[in-house]
Amino acid sequence: MLRFILKRLLIIIPMALIVVSVTWALVRFAPGTFYSSEKQLPAAVEANIRKKYGLDKPLIEQYLMMMGNITCRTKAADETTTTGLQFSIGSANFKCFDFGDSLKYEGQSVNEILWRTVPVSATLGILAYLLALAIGITAGTIAALRQNTAIDYSSMAISMLGISMPNFVLGPILVLIFSLYLYWFPPARWDGVLGVSNLVLPVLTLSAVYAAYIARLTRAGMLEVLRSDYIRTARAKGLSEWHVVTRHALRGGLMPVISFTGPALAQLLAGTVVVEKIFALPGMGNVFIQSIFNRDEPLTLGVVAFLSIITLLFNLLVDIGYAFLDPRIRYD
Amino acid sequence: MAEELRPVKGTSLWKDAWKRLLKNKLAVFGMIVVCFMVIAVLIGPPIVEWSTGFAYDTIPANGDLVRSFPPSMLHPMGTDDQGRDVLARVLLGGRISLMVGIISTIVSLIVGVSYGAIAGYLGKGIDNVMMRIVDMMYAVPYILIVIVLLSLFSGNNAPGFIQYLVKLFGGGAGLSQIFLLFFALGLVSWLTMSRIVRGQIMSLKNQEFVMAAKATGVSTPKIIFKHLVPNTLGLVIVYATLTVPSVMLTEAFLSFLGLGVQAPFASWGSLAADGIKNIAIYPWQLIFPGVTMALTLFSLNFLGDGLRDALDPQMRKV
Repeated sequence: MLRFILKRLLIIIPMALIVVSVTWALVRFAPGTFYSSEKQLPAAVEANIRKKYGLDKPLIEQYLMMMGNITCRTKAADETTTTGLQFSIGSANFKCFDFGDSLKYEGQSVNEILWRTVPVSATLGILAYLLALAIGITAGTIAALRQNTAIDYSSMAISMLGISMPNFVLGPILVLIFSLYLYWFPPARWDGVLGVSNLVLPVLTLSAVYAAYIARLTRAGMLEVLRSDYIRTARAKGLSEWHVVTRHALRGGLMPVISFTGPALAQLLAGTVVVEKIFALPGMGNVFIQSIFNRDEPLTLGVVAFLSIITLLFNLLVDIGYAFLDPRIRYD
Repeated sequence: MAEELRPVKGTSLWKDAWKRLLKNKLAVFGMIVVCFMVIAVLIGPPIVEWSTGFAYDTIPANGDLVRSFPPSMLHPMGTDDQGRDVLARVLLGGRISLMVGIISTIVSLIVGVSYGAIAGYLGKGIDNVMMRIVDMMYAVPYILIVIVLLSLFSGNNAPGFIQYLVKLFGGGAGLSQIFLLFFALGLVSWLTMSRIVRGQIMSLKNQEFVMAAKATGVSTPKIIFKHLVPNTLGLVIVYATLTVPSVMLTEAFLSFLGLGVQAPFASWGSLAADGIKNIAIYPWQLIFPGVTMALTLFSLNFLGDGLRDALDPQMRKV
């Protein structure tokens, strides 16, 4: 098991680097640059800008420089930058994980922007997923236990509605009801992680579609497990229904939910952009989309690197989770 | 007395599936709604124009009418900021949204099925490389790919066949952007399809009929596309039905970000995105397109679910 985890952890590094490289190529492929917005710049100015950002060097050199910065390289003697991880071994100074300065938000490094925005998106994403788990597993389990009854049909229909409702429709409708008519929650504000009343609507909006998916997955998984032999054995032993469901059935029935969780969590972190826009929250999704529009290459690369590592890590966690829930799965 | 022996009439897989589908009330409901929507967006715009005089881009000549009115007899869904009829715009938006869904799905189908089939049949090293490419594409944000495709091929840079299509429909730059969007969305949504087809082909390729084909000297491309791919059709249809709503959602998301369909054209996503700005004062601008879209996606999803149960009883999660 330990060897498996270690092996997978090591694979994450090259995979993330490849993803970053592909992204870099894509940004370079796209026409337009960060400095050409409305008006044509004089040729001399353009040449100066290109020189300052090293765009006049051969592509391969630019690529290697970018790669050196975001991974690790030795620090030159005259360098004053303090971003990223800095350390020295003997007399050599090293610098790691420096994504450079944003090209559009002047004077801010990508690392700073990420430090500021990631907690917002993470708070939203994690709270929304926890809520979705609570609602989805409960609804799915009840639907499975009462298969083919009105409860089953209605909860599945509601969940399908949750999947079909775009969150930029659901969000404003919630705002309309709870902020503009009932005056319960503010329509848009960010009061930090502890601003509970500001978090309610965004978290609800974000969690709806995940709760719906989880409910459907739980129902499917539970239906399969509930008719297996070991559940019959558990019932025959005279265990209470509560015990049978929570201790025995859920463990196997949640497998599909677990495999959904890896990609879903990663997607949640990136996909909060709509909710951030609707509720005016200073999160990472918005910054990411803006960086693509602005051709703000360092910022785009920073977010992509962060997201790809998170995605790959979550997928690893999911595989480990399997082994804990299903004793038959062994990784050697 | 022996009963008269009548030959038993066999039922085909498709007939069987159709019967099972008709038993599923929600799927039938979905089918009816989808058919209704398709008919409505096809014949709706001329009817609205004929009865109210409003096309999707008609701005009233009278300046007093250039503002947002609530739903009334003349405008069942109200009007938008410029006094345009929301119903006419929702119908046009439906045309574009449904076309996005269908054409992008066909594109993703062609790419995904051939990619998955080739990887699955050839196996070994080639399969390994092809599937790692898919894994990587999952990790690269699709929105980046869409933006690059859209900006690389916009305007006069559009590939020849898109320019041809635009001419065919007699439209300008706006139309070219829409056609481009169809293909860009199709090109980022084939990944799951290719994985599914690959799995299916891998389990089929060791069966006797493939061996027989090989023994009689059928060429590899012919084995893949004539013998193997038709056998995956049921599964492919199911996933295609489920791809349509997901592509439509993606288009709506892109339109919400201002990347998708541009004015004067509209899609359900772009209409909803416009409506959000005025949610507090003119809620009908959001609610009608939003609810129409949700209802259509809801029906498509139920139809897809029903088809899965009907066409693939093994996959059916009871």
